[in-house]
Amino acid sequence: MAKKTIITAAVTGAWPKKENNPNVPITPSEIADDVYACWKAGAAIAHLHMRDSDGNGTMSTEKFQETTALIKDRYPDCDIIINLTTSGDIHADDDLRLAHIEKLKPEMASYDCGSMNWLHSGLFINSPAFLERCGNLFQKLHVKPEIEAFDPGMIANAAYYLKKGVLKAPLHFQFCMGCANGITGSVKTLLFMKETMEQLCPGSTWSCFGVGHSSMEILYAALALGGHIRVGMEDNVMYAKGTLADSNAQFVKRAVRVIEEYGNETATPDEARQILSLA
Amino acid sequence: MTWGAFYLYYHCPKCGLKYEYALDLLTEFGDTFGFCPKCSVMGIYEKEGPRQIDDAMYLEVEAD
Repeated sequence: MAKKTIITAAVTGAWPKKENNPNVPITPSEIADDVYACWKAGAAIAHLHMRDSDGNGTMSTEKFQETTALIKDRYPDCDIIINLTTSGDIHADDDLRLAHIEKLKPEMASYDCGSMNWLHSGLFINSPAFLERCGNLFQKLHVKPEIEAFDPGMIANAAYYLKKGVLKAPLHFQFCMGCANGITGSVKTLLFMKETMEQLCPGSTWSCFGVGHSSMEILYAALALGGHIRVGMEDNVMYAKGTLADSNAQFVKRAVRVIEEYGNETATPDEARQILSLA
Repeated sequence: MTWGAFYLYYHCPKCGLKYEYALDLLTEFGDTFGFCPKCSVMGIYEKEGPRQIDDAMYLEVEAD
């Protein structure tokens, strides 16, 4: 039986704007339409960020609510897993970062397992107090954390929270490769992330993506190493060198082609729920 | 939360060429990261960040 590979579509992110690529979905309506197109193309999970009226990242609960309601109301056939960010604005306080989780109780949400300098210009703070509160809240609401690890130290931090009971096994990691200030993106570094995870948090599942030049190398390596895949304009506004992406669905369609050529099958949302032990 | 590749922008002190290096290729370029692709001398740093609006003015230096 072919192995199932989960595709996560990260359609917006907190940073790229229309001036970077006019096809980045910004409004709730645009995001909802894009999520549906990605689901139709083969994505099982939609990782969502929101933007304010100026196009900047926001943790507005109302925006998350409007967008998720649009997906549900406009596209009742869409059973994609909703994964909401808790890190969509580096200036948001801890209360705001979790308010939409408490209100909307998504199936999944991001859990950035450590702090780092952000784009060599700011701070991306995930304090111990925030991570403990976040982990406990997720358990209480049955929200599956997607543990974003930008370097191996964040995997070790997840293992610490696992042993403390703040996180609950089986964990699911998202390895963020090639980001400024994080681990570089290559087969070698991805293998190291995977082996670190297997040593510290055995039994975990994992997905990954590479930004910029490493995006295709990481996509192919994820398949070869048995991981899952994330694509989308949060991580890459270019489809190929010199070519802006037409849409997020374009990335999903390429991922589906690669998965099938490799001999795997794309996981449906329900299959992804089983793989990730949701619900 | 991510945001694409991060670039360092330079110009050449000898020929004036404007060019950019993606920081995620630092390990591939090693000591030559930041060198002018024509003159092989270290460039003069101008700015940094994700893709800029005036990217087209800069030659993106690629790894072999």
